[in-house]
Amino acid sequence: MSTVAPARERDTAPTPAGIRRFSRPRRHLTSLSWSSLLYVAPALAFFAVFVLYPIGISVWYSFYAYDGLTEGTPVGLDNYTAVFTDPDLRAALLHSLVLLFFYAALPVAVGLLLAGAMSRIRVYGLTLFRAVLFVPQILSSVVVAVAWRNLLAEDGPVNAVLRAVGLGRFTTSWLGNFDTALPSIGVVGTWVEYGLCMVLFLSGIVAIDRSTYEAARLDGAGAVREFFSITLPALRPQISIALILTVTFALRNFDLIWNTTRGGPGTSTTVPSLYVYQDAFQNRMLGRASALAIVLTVVILAVVVAVQLLLRERDGTGRGPLRRATARPARKVQP
Amino acid sequence: MKSVRREVRRRVLRERAGGRAGGRAGAPRRAWGTAGAVALAAVLACAGCSAPGAGKSATAGTQSFITEPVTTEQVAALGDVTLRMWADQAEKPLMKSVVPAFEKKYPNVTVDITYKSFDDLIATVVNAASGSTPPDLFQGNIGYAVDGALVKAKLVRPLDDVAATYGWLTGTGASTLAPARWNSAGTAFGDGNLYGMSPISEVQGIYYNKALLKSLDLEPPRSLSDLEKDLPVVKAAGKQPVMLGNSDQYAATHIFSDLAVTEQSPASISDWIGGKAGTTFATDGNEKAADTMADWAKKGYFGSGYDGLSNEDAIARFAKGSGAFFVGGSWNGAKLDPEKFGFGALTTGGAGATASPWHIAASSKATPAAVAFLAALHTPEAGQEILDTGRLPVVTDGVKGANSLQSQTLDVLKRTIAAGTQVGYYDWSATDMLSVMGGKLQEVMAGRTSSAAFTKAVQDSWQKARKSE
Repeated sequence: MSTVAPARERDTAPTPAGIRRFSRPRRHLTSLSWSSLLYVAPALAFFAVFVLYPIGISVWYSFYAYDGLTEGTPVGLDNYTAVFTDPDLRAALLHSLVLLFFYAALPVAVGLLLAGAMSRIRVYGLTLFRAVLFVPQILSSVVVAVAWRNLLAEDGPVNAVLRAVGLGRFTTSWLGNFDTALPSIGVVGTWVEYGLCMVLFLSGIVAIDRSTYEAARLDGAGAVREFFSITLPALRPQISIALILTVTFALRNFDLIWNTTRGGPGTSTTVPSLYVYQDAFQNRMLGRASALAIVLTVVILAVVVAVQLLLRERDGTGRGPLRRATARPARKVQP
Repeated sequence: MKSVRREVRRRVLRERAGGRAGGRAGAPRRAWGTAGAVALAAVLACAGCSAPGAGKSATAGTQSFITEPVTTEQVAALGDVTLRMWADQAEKPLMKSVVPAFEKKYPNVTVDITYKSFDDLIATVVNAASGSTPPDLFQGNIGYAVDGALVKAKLVRPLDDVAATYGWLTGTGASTLAPARWNSAGTAFGDGNLYGMSPISEVQGIYYNKALLKSLDLEPPRSLSDLEKDLPVVKAAGKQPVMLGNSDQYAATHIFSDLAVTEQSPASISDWIGGKAGTTFATDGNEKAADTMADWAKKGYFGSGYDGLSNEDAIARFAKGSGAFFVGGSWNGAKLDPEKFGFGALTTGGAGATASPWHIAASSKATPAAVAFLAALHTPEAGQEILDTGRLPVVTDGVKGANSLQSQTLDVLKRTIAAGTQVGYYDWSATDMLSVMGGKLQEVMAGRTSSAAFTKAVQDSWQKARKSE
């Protein structure tokens, strides 16, 4: 423990939580000095120019009918009412909810499964597997889109495999069929995201004290029990992060859809960000595009906050599953 | 071992305590921080809170009209000047021959071209034109999204004087100028002042696989009715009649357009596309054409999975021998082997007109050089070069095809222009028309909606676009 830097030592000194809770804000107030602000100034300036300013511009534009060239006319909240009353947009939002399952829920589930398996079974060349499974995450989304367009084509490999195993009657043009286009894009998203989830979870699992597993095994817990009683609760922060990343990806998803179906066939794969792009760059309706973008941002923020609240670590009195899982075997093993 | 475990547990406790403290005491602080950031953002953006774009006054400037062709002396008077241009990537082969000749003729001018993909170009060129240093000469795109916006904001110079001086208003290419004519408000086109010029023409027709037709004892089709007779024969022989790639949603609308124009007068369609008040898309002819599309799709004439195939992939497959016919624009011909494929006319007309027109920036300081460059594009020599590089020129006099497919295509162009049946493209009619019409037509072809619902949806969108102006 002596290797820990002094500052951190002080910050996280093993004093009872109560004292820390009250002392921290006070220290924060007194230590806020101009010199410390100077250190963050470059980053802050960057942040202000490239993040805050554009956000402010979007908010500003959203109250105008503006084509980006000639003087805009103020329209009050019209752009926002349009966002909430447009039936096309409502359909698009519904598609987003479907995609949430494929882009967030499924990757987290698959990631957990893989991470759980990898942590338990000794896999030779684990690093290699991990790297390979992570590859979809680092590929450019255009590359992913083009590759999957070919995989899912009428005469693509997916259908070839189906035909080879005698499931020929299930073949279809996956991205060109009204019923399969949205789930197909969903599967592509799952493929992109599960690697990230898996790597996150693996790193979380490494941090779990091995002795808790030993203890659980001594208690006669099987693989499934171990997973649900130890691994899953301990991964709560990682799951939270994974969900925040994947949910954001799902709701602001644009490039994959633009490069596979452009929202088609018909309007079966439209999503809100598709309309943001079309309104801003094709229809030159910057006001409406901004309003939609801001609503989308607020929705994403709300969902992220909800995820954070749901997966927040419980209070000591609440006794979350992690506490039970770690505490019980520990007590038993001790003489 | 035990001490390690205790240490771990202590650390877990500590972390949890930290998390809790952050969660409780930190939340309001963070909320304040967020509120502050948003307020700061609003202040940064909304300096003075006037309407966006209020500061930008259109710099129409004093326009010097020309009555005589620009001379080398006039261009030389500009001194050493750079002619800055933005162009579609597809123009590269043509520019490779035109630019060196131009720079030789006008030695004081350096041509500097920024090439962009078509999608990129139309998404960014309006902003570039409205910037502080716009390119002198650039390509827009017919329709409201690009050309309409440019005209409305007075960013491009009217070219009526140039067209009259250089004789563009007579001859084979004259009719191709119509889509670049706008009313001064930028709200309707097809008539009014001329704001752009394209040296490249486009025509729709029927590409056919010579060998496949021969094996089925079929004559090359010379019209849509010929095609209609051939389709069941090809289908019965177990081949795919028409190769279609419609994932980009536009290819099917072109075939629809070719059908629709046989059901009504081409002029009535052009009027509707140009935004003429009182016209409608909900006509019997359009419904009938949509029904035919649905019928062909149902009978399998387009094969299956066309909605999952891009036009690019479709023409590649057609080039490799699948499909007897490919109904589409002349730009697809560059991908086909002229020995193996032929091109049949749709003199009844259909979609087609010109490629993206060139515009001269209203604020350009090198206008004489820009005019001279446009003039250089509108010559028989440039026309030949255009045909040689796989496209169709507007100036067709004295231009000769290098192979049978090129000659056929050129012939089809001349005949279609002579018949006056080219109606332009439906998606010019409103900025979101491509996705509305393309998407709805996909639904009609899949049997998920009626042709009446299709024409109504399209008309509603057209109406909405008129209202918002």
